[in-house]
Amino acid sequence: MTLWRSLAAQVLGLRVRLLLAFALLGVTTTAVVASGSYFQARTVILQQAQDAAVMALTDQLAKVYPISQLPPTQEELNVLAQRLSDREGFAVVIYRGMRAQGSPTPAPLTPELRQEVGDGRIAWQRVSQDGQPWLLIGTQLQLDSPDGTSRPSGLEVYSMRDLVPEQQSIDQLATRAWLTGGLSLLLAVLLALLSARGVLRPVRDLGRAARRLGEGDLTTRLTVRGVDELADVARTFNDTAGTLERQVGELRRMESDARRFVADVSHELRTPLAAMTAVTDVLDEEADHLPGDAGQAARLVSQEAQNLTQLVNDLIEISRFDSGTARLALDDVDVAAAVTATLRIRGWADRVRADLPPAVVARLDPRRLDVIVANLVGNAFRHGAEPVSVRLSADPDWVTIEVADQGPGLDPEVRGHVFDRFYKADTARTRSEGSGLGLAISWENARLHRHGGLRGTLVAANGPDGGAVFTLRLPRVTTDAGGAR
Amino acid sequence: MTGRRTGRALLAGGLLLGTLLASGCGVRPSPVITGRSAVSGPAQGVRLYLVAQGELVLVLRRPTVDDTPSEALARLAAGPQQDERSQGLTSEVPTGFTAVVEVTPTTVGSGDLTVRMTGTARALSPTAIDQVICTAVDAAAQAGRVGSLAPVTIVGSDGAQPARRCPAR
Repeated sequence: MTLWRSLAAQVLGLRVRLLLAFALLGVTTTAVVASGSYFQARTVILQQAQDAAVMALTDQLAKVYPISQLPPTQEELNVLAQRLSDREGFAVVIYRGMRAQGSPTPAPLTPELRQEVGDGRIAWQRVSQDGQPWLLIGTQLQLDSPDGTSRPSGLEVYSMRDLVPEQQSIDQLATRAWLTGGLSLLLAVLLALLSARGVLRPVRDLGRAARRLGEGDLTTRLTVRGVDELADVARTFNDTAGTLERQVGELRRMESDARRFVADVSHELRTPLAAMTAVTDVLDEEADHLPGDAGQAARLVSQEAQNLTQLVNDLIEISRFDSGTARLALDDVDVAAAVTATLRIRGWADRVRADLPPAVVARLDPRRLDVIVANLVGNAFRHGAEPVSVRLSADPDWVTIEVADQGPGLDPEVRGHVFDRFYKADTARTRSEGSGLGLAISWENARLHRHGGLRGTLVAANGPDGGAVFTLRLPRVTTDAGGAR
Repeated sequence: MTGRRTGRALLAGGLLLGTLLASGCGVRPSPVITGRSAVSGPAQGVRLYLVAQGELVLVLRRPTVDDTPSEALARLAAGPQQDERSQGLTSEVPTGFTAVVEVTPTTVGSGDLTVRMTGTARALSPTAIDQVICTAVDAAAQAGRVGSLAPVTIVGSDGAQPARRCPAR
């Protein structure tokens, strides 16, 4: 399909079209000019030859006079015919029923020619005999009267002259016309190629620049050459790219400002929160001794302080990703052991169906693996339904961990957004138990693991029997790309 | 769209080229072309008009010392010679025919011709009358006395025939 399209682009491309147009123009012009001059030259050549032949015949016939014997004998006709024949042609003399010929070649006298000659005019005609062109000239021999009128004597003379030399000249003309046409076609093609190059280079440059711009290189600019329409396009392109670069830069600046603001706020909140936590811990311990509502309030404050701390920690974590300062602390990890530890620490070891084949060793960041697995399993408990299963598999390149639950699964609408920050699957629920950043942090953590062209992924899907399935894939050997985003 | 336009241009170019080629290379046959009037020149001898297949035929005889129109008519009355007969020429003028030619000059070089014959003019066939008229007018014209298109009146014992011109051209 692509091959076909590129072939079609080649065939119908600007270069081919220019080439065709130029060639057509050249050929048409040459054809018109060359054929016009060819036909004119042919007419002139033939006319001259005919006029000269008629003149020669008239001169020869003037020597036949005075005529002293009518009717002539066959002998006299023969003599006359011989006298009028020469290298260039031969004569036919006709008197009533008699006929004498200066050559054995048959003479193709046409009825219309004889008619015109019979009417008392010199007449000639070009005929073709055996593929050879002949000129036939005919005239009566008339007798003068002293008063200037003439009477037909009954003698008719026809002269046959072959037009082979003229044919040769005309053929030469035609050959030259074809040659000229060929040369002009060649010239047209050369010119077309030249002008196509002149037009196509800026177009190709423009295409390349547009592609670079599309790939995100906003500093791309074109060199503006000349003052034609293409230069205009190049200038417009440069202006557009400039505007785009400015606006994108502005947006990026605003975004990074916003992120820095969040990071700053989180950091600023940490110190007072630490103090608050210390206070609420004390309160929490005393809550049982406090009477009624006061105890409940103390527990509530303690709980919310913990949530707030969690939120601030998550915000700090995600702002590290955003600023590109997140680093991997790589270690050779027994993945099964690490996952088991995660589940055990959080007290989930008994509630999770773990399928963890031993001796899968990978080089990755154990803390981030712990964060991801804890988030996924915690989410499964919160939003899905038990039993929750964790399955580990590995091949030489990848380590894959699947966390599945038996809940209702993910809405197709939700699935595209589960890794968005503060995304609430259930809009009616205004307050989530988590910070709303867990899955986003997990996703960033997964992507932080990379090796060569391989990059960690976290994908949300629905299992064959309905529950949500989160699949984490990490490169088995991760190298620290150093905070690359 | 562009393809169709290119196609149309190609078609037009091809048609043009085809038309040019169809009109032919080399030397083509032509219709009859006519020039000026036929070659003409002087003749020596006496012009008589004989008949072949009902048409007047001009013959030339050797000139004699006395080539008057009357003499020419006398030679016409004598009939075709041996070689003329052998080519199928005849004469409808009776052998006893004798006549005198008179010129009625109006101006020099143009005038009316009168042929006074013995016997009845009505006895002559129309062809014979044409023979007489043409022979007489040609002889008179050779002598420079009338134009060759002058009208000729034949007068016999039975009166004058209407004036006619020689039909041979």
